[in-house]
Amino acid sequence: MLLNDCDPGFKHQVAAEPGGQGIKACFACAACTARCPVAGHVEGYDPRRLIRLVLLGRREEVLASPLIWLCSTCYSCQEVCPQQVSFTEVLTAIKNIAARAGYGPPATEAVIDQLAAHGRLLEVGEFENQRRTDLGLPEVAEAPAHFQKVLGVEPAGGKS
Amino acid sequence: MADAGRHPNITLLTNSEVTSASGYVGNFEVRVVQKARFVDENTCTACGDCVKVCPVVVPDEFNQGLSSRRAIYQPFPQAVPSAYVIDIENCLGHDPIKCGKCMAECDKKSIDFDMSDQEHVFKIGTIVVATGMEVYDPSVLDEYGYTRHENVLTSMELERLINAGGPSQGEVIRMTDRKVPRSVAFIQCVGSRSLRRGNPYCSNICCMNTIKATLQLKEHYPDIEIKVFYIDIRAFGKGFEEMFRRSRGLGVRYIRGLPGAIQEDPATGDLILTAENTATNQLETHRAEMVILSVGVHPPEEMKVVQEMLTLQRHADGFYLEAHPKLEPVDSATRGIFFAGCAEGPKDIKEAVTQASAAAARAIRLMNPGKLTVEAITAEVDSHKCTICGICAKVCPYNAIEVDKRSGTPAHVNSAACAGCGTCAAECPAEAITMHHFTDRQINGQIDALLDSDPMDRILVFACNWCSYAGADFAGVSRLQYPANTRLIRTMCSGRVSQKFVWRAFEQGAPVVLVSGCHIGDCHYINANHWTEKRLKRMWKKMEKLGLRPERLQLEWISAAEGIRFQEVMDKMERLRREVTPDEVAKTQRILAAQREKEAAKAAAKAAKAVAVPEDARPSA
Repeated sequence: MLLNDCDPGFKHQVAAEPGGQGIKACFACAACTARCPVAGHVEGYDPRRLIRLVLLGRREEVLASPLIWLCSTCYSCQEVCPQQVSFTEVLTAIKNIAARAGYGPPATEAVIDQLAAHGRLLEVGEFENQRRTDLGLPEVAEAPAHFQKVLGVEPAGGKS
Repeated sequence: MADAGRHPNITLLTNSEVTSASGYVGNFEVRVVQKARFVDENTCTACGDCVKVCPVVVPDEFNQGLSSRRAIYQPFPQAVPSAYVIDIENCLGHDPIKCGKCMAECDKKSIDFDMSDQEHVFKIGTIVVATGMEVYDPSVLDEYGYTRHENVLTSMELERLINAGGPSQGEVIRMTDRKVPRSVAFIQCVGSRSLRRGNPYCSNICCMNTIKATLQLKEHYPDIEIKVFYIDIRAFGKGFEEMFRRSRGLGVRYIRGLPGAIQEDPATGDLILTAENTATNQLETHRAEMVILSVGVHPPEEMKVVQEMLTLQRHADGFYLEAHPKLEPVDSATRGIFFAGCAEGPKDIKEAVTQASAAAARAIRLMNPGKLTVEAITAEVDSHKCTICGICAKVCPYNAIEVDKRSGTPAHVNSAACAGCGTCAAECPAEAITMHHFTDRQINGQIDALLDSDPMDRILVFACNWCSYAGADFAGVSRLQYPANTRLIRTMCSGRVSQKFVWRAFEQGAPVVLVSGCHIGDCHYINANHWTEKRLKRMWKKMEKLGLRPERLQLEWISAAEGIRFQEVMDKMERLRREVTPDEVAKTQRILAAQREKEAAKAAAKAAKAVAVPEDARPSA
């Protein structure tokens, strides 16, 4: 890894994202990692190290990392942080950037596709509607338009 | 302290409280209430017979509550004066049915329950404020479990345990099993360097205190295992780095990374700390038989009382604010009052002694000549013109002006207390105050002269002596280029810049005017620039009302070190000046002339009415 490969603007981008404001205040006391319940169970998950990577501008390494999706949002790190970095919120900012850059986790991507195509997590077809009619329930039509708008995807069902 | 108590020129009042302080340098009057100690300190020989019979047992504050004392006690062995004192809150009293045992036991008959609090009034020349500091209480930091886990102690508690005269005769023992721990962990920055809980600043003393404690522990118990969890070790003083190295040489492990939580092993009372070692990137679990929280310090609550009494300022961190951080580090902004020790900020013994010596020398320097030379730059009130409105007394940052509205006594400036900012003269609606060396006539003369020719080309700047004028000077010596048509008028403080000076400048055809001073909080006259700010806000409103563009009057804070900022501000002023057209200036002059006539007419009408009233009143009388 060369210094040239680092993106010095990455930390500014994270700081500009809602929730990411505190990133630059970190003085690496490591209280967040020490308090983190995930860090104790997942090898390599280390809030302090993630913050360092952002500050060093190792953009691809952070966004492509599967680790950023593992936060349990228990807010323990925010509780002990002396510098008000608010790591849980910083990580939300990082995840938003990652999702926009096409680094979303595969499971979430699949859910998005499903919602965009059918407007619900379970597909409702002829078979399901037949069962509903038998039980005396009204039929359900798929209405994916609203979700397509919210998710910003093409009506065809594919990703934008 | 024993030496201070014996010194013929030092009167030591212990167990006392200052209740009020008034006056000014050389003439302070201080009232002190000395609480009754119920033991005659002149006859008490501190034999200790009374203690043996006292039935009341309470926690010993000096030993951090780790041991107990009686209701009649000496706070600590070297306490001055060397005499006992009765804790009247807890004492059962002298009623022989209830108790009174100590009275019966005392051979010297020193115990006297009829003593009462005494008030002393002192006339004094100078005051040294040494109100000290308090130690942070870590019980709010739930993750460390202080008070929940018995073997988690503070650095103060360790200090008492390791002291030979302490509650355990110098044996460091655990609270749960009274055994010497085989491993001790220290956690640094507890209550310090935190924007969320505790204090945002570094407490200065805890790193070295921990290093000292590790050396003491290693000396007592060479086999003890010691780990120190830290963010940064700040060993910045003389010999400190060497001491840090010695501690590491003795096998003390310094681990960079704060533990996130402390858990207790219920079976053994041992403590389990989880911390990330940032040197190795590993999340580690450490076991320690005792944990010491290296607590920070903070200003005591009572500082506020003294602050109000002596009109002192406090820094954002709560400690007293010195007159100047570099050049007057032990002086307060009020002349004749000095700071020593932690009253001014957290510091160790050496620094506190240094500062106390400096404060004493500064006080002696003032008092030794027996008289005081004051700057001739002081304000003076013309009592004939004074309308006794009281505004000057309200704005004076030094409480140097006395005015009694009720009895109708005109304002009077105490020239020993006056520092010469000129805010009173700028605010006086009756123009009754003369600010010597910066009189209205002098400043008006400068305005007229600077705008005498080509006023359209000029940028008129009012700069305060301490910051903005010095900032301009710094821009000059730094060879920074700024518009050559800048014209500066120096005042001691931006507080001196009266509304009428600005109006006069606009009337003389000034396109733009800048008022500049020290940054808010850095004012060399305590808070006089707050009044500048308020005044300019009033002026901007008035300009809008009159139909003048408020942008033409600017207010900027420029410090003495901000040469570049001075340059930037001047470039901005030049841009603003270019936007002003001759027509706009002519219109301004017309508006202001009309306004002046209107005000003159109003004043004349008021004067006529004032004369008319007694005539109307005569027939009815």
